[in-house]
Amino acid sequence: MSTTTLTHVQSRAALPAGLTVVATEIGGAALLGAFLLAEATPMVLALLALMGGLFAALQLRPRIEEEIVRAFHEARGLATVLAVAIVLVYPFFLGGNTYALHLLIVSLLYSVLALALNFQLGSANIPNFATGATYGIGAYTSALLAIHLGWSFWATLPAAAIVATLFGFLLGIPSMRTRDSYLALVTIAFGIVIHQMLNNLSWTGGPNGLVGIPAPSLLGHSFMQPIELFGFRLPSQANFYYLSAALLGLAILSAKRLHESRVGLAWNAIRADELAAKCQGINVVWYKILAFGVDAFLAAFAGTIYAFYISYISPDNFTFLVSVTIMTMVIVGGMDNTLGVILGAFLLTMLPEKLRIFSDYRLLFVSVVVILFLILRPKGLFPQRQRHYGGQ
Amino acid sequence: MESLILQHLLNWLVLGSIYTLVAIGFSLLFGLLNVIHFSHGDVSMIAPFVALGSLQVLFGLAGSSAGILPILAALVIAVLVTGLVGIGADRLVISRFRHSPAMMALVATVALGTVVRELIRGFYPQGSNPKSFPAIVQGFVEFGGLRLPALPVLIVVSTVAIVVLMYLLMQNSPIGMRIRAVAEDGATARLMGITPARIFAFTFFLASAVGALGALFFASYAGVVRFDFGVQLGLIGFSAAVIGGLGSMGGAILGALAIAGIETIVQANMADGASYRLVFAFALVILMLCIRPSGLLGKPVFEKV
Repeated sequence: MSTTTLTHVQSRAALPAGLTVVATEIGGAALLGAFLLAEATPMVLALLALMGGLFAALQLRPRIEEEIVRAFHEARGLATVLAVAIVLVYPFFLGGNTYALHLLIVSLLYSVLALALNFQLGSANIPNFATGATYGIGAYTSALLAIHLGWSFWATLPAAAIVATLFGFLLGIPSMRTRDSYLALVTIAFGIVIHQMLNNLSWTGGPNGLVGIPAPSLLGHSFMQPIELFGFRLPSQANFYYLSAALLGLAILSAKRLHESRVGLAWNAIRADELAAKCQGINVVWYKILAFGVDAFLAAFAGTIYAFYISYISPDNFTFLVSVTIMTMVIVGGMDNTLGVILGAFLLTMLPEKLRIFSDYRLLFVSVVVILFLILRPKGLFPQRQRHYGGQ
Repeated sequence: MESLILQHLLNWLVLGSIYTLVAIGFSLLFGLLNVIHFSHGDVSMIAPFVALGSLQVLFGLAGSSAGILPILAALVIAVLVTGLVGIGADRLVISRFRHSPAMMALVATVALGTVVRELIRGFYPQGSNPKSFPAIVQGFVEFGGLRLPALPVLIVVSTVAIVVLMYLLMQNSPIGMRIRAVAEDGATARLMGITPARIFAFTFFLASAVGALGALFFASYAGVVRFDFGVQLGLIGFSAAVIGGLGSMGGAILGALAIAGIETIVQANMADGASYRLVFAFALVILMLCIRPSGLLGKPVFEKV
């Protein structure tokens, strides 16, 4: 018995890393595509069951996951190139399905927001219920600049990020003195104050929001225009798809770099024990405020793209509930695990949309699923991994 | 002029009372379990719906035409049912997070609040529409030459009575002592023959029942109830408990009065104060926590590594 298991393992270990990477990435992309395009209820449920099955397999045979992680580690170059290629050609496989493309864009933007929050919640254990607010500040800043001052999208992007980061630092100041539940309440209160201001001030358009945000253009190509390439024609949403994908790429890159830097280490030290971190000479206050700033910076980018994509924003897009949803994505996906967080964001964005059969009870269903997740898998789909030291 | 001030004063006391009743639940549960029961507001908001339902089913009455006895019966039923729902919420969800990080419990109870809200919206007859809620008492009371509307007076007086009763219960009764013993040290309390599970159930019942009274008063005072009122009520109750100092009953009252005070002042003195009252209330919350991070009456915490 034991010898057969051994040979079995050896034969799997002999599987070339490149093959594993290709199979995993293409398989994952195909599964996502099938889920995006599935419309009939039985199909959606079957795909959900398949995902559940795959996940259970990973769960029961931890070796599979280790193998995949190892393969990705070995064939890192191939994995990156293939991933970029898949992202680039993906819209072609969705055909002209604009709804699927729209879902994909929203999922990408929420992934960025979840990754932004992950710097705080996952890395440093700072509860921030105001990501929705910084997202809103970014969206409103860029929309106001574009509508009233005629700034182009590319100019509003950094401006929105700077404004939101300043607000992020401002929000971070109380974290010098408050912690845990008290800090959570400060961020909740901040989020509500921002939402109420957007709702009541006249120059933000009040409850009606801002309409007519002009579409961006790049090198003379307006984002309203469909993309035509080699005789293929992609709907205009594809412009924003590529833009959001680029932003997510940037977010993943910064998550990776920060995680491996001193900053990431300091955040993890604060998560482990704030007082001990302080005793080690880590400037706890600065790193906590920095976490707020980084979160706001990335969230503002996502907000700007969202505002220009939908061309209409209102305070309802940035409520307390949005912040809670983003937080849930991080927790359900797996704190401090980039892949887990992105998966959580995709799942929680698409699940309510795909469960149209429950129409009126979607929110109910999703909340129940969240509670079940928290009870059954408290560390998230993909728990945080052990840090690897020594460069490679 | 004088009557206007009196009116604002009464309004302040009524809001303060309602917030107190909700905030006490947060404090009680936090003191015992170190958990923030974020769905407390939503669970409390079940009460007005149960009251309306029982008025209709048991007495065949709709809304404001009800007499005092059916209303009283409906209130008692509503409070009891909500208390039981509180126990259920703990058994089903909250108890599973006793030993996990506080953030998990917080997010789980936020989701639980959504579940409660959506259940009312989806399954209560026409749950998504606002419903008118009858005044518990009508008319005026004469009080030392002053003529005051009866409902606000009733709300304030009953709140004072409930707070006094709760204080006596916690300080002097055997069950109160057991609750405090479990809050102090669960393991030792168990050695002394106390069953923590029972204490948790009782505390959840108590907190939810008191919150239910707050929600009933709130609905009666506003004259209307909606499925999503619980979010705001819960948030304000939680804020009141926190700025007063989580775990302290006196703090909860102080916090509730402070938030209600800000709301009343803003509403009375600003042109469109009604729409800005939440901005000022929550700005106060942020400010208070920056100045006194552990709340007005909270004890500063000393930490060990």
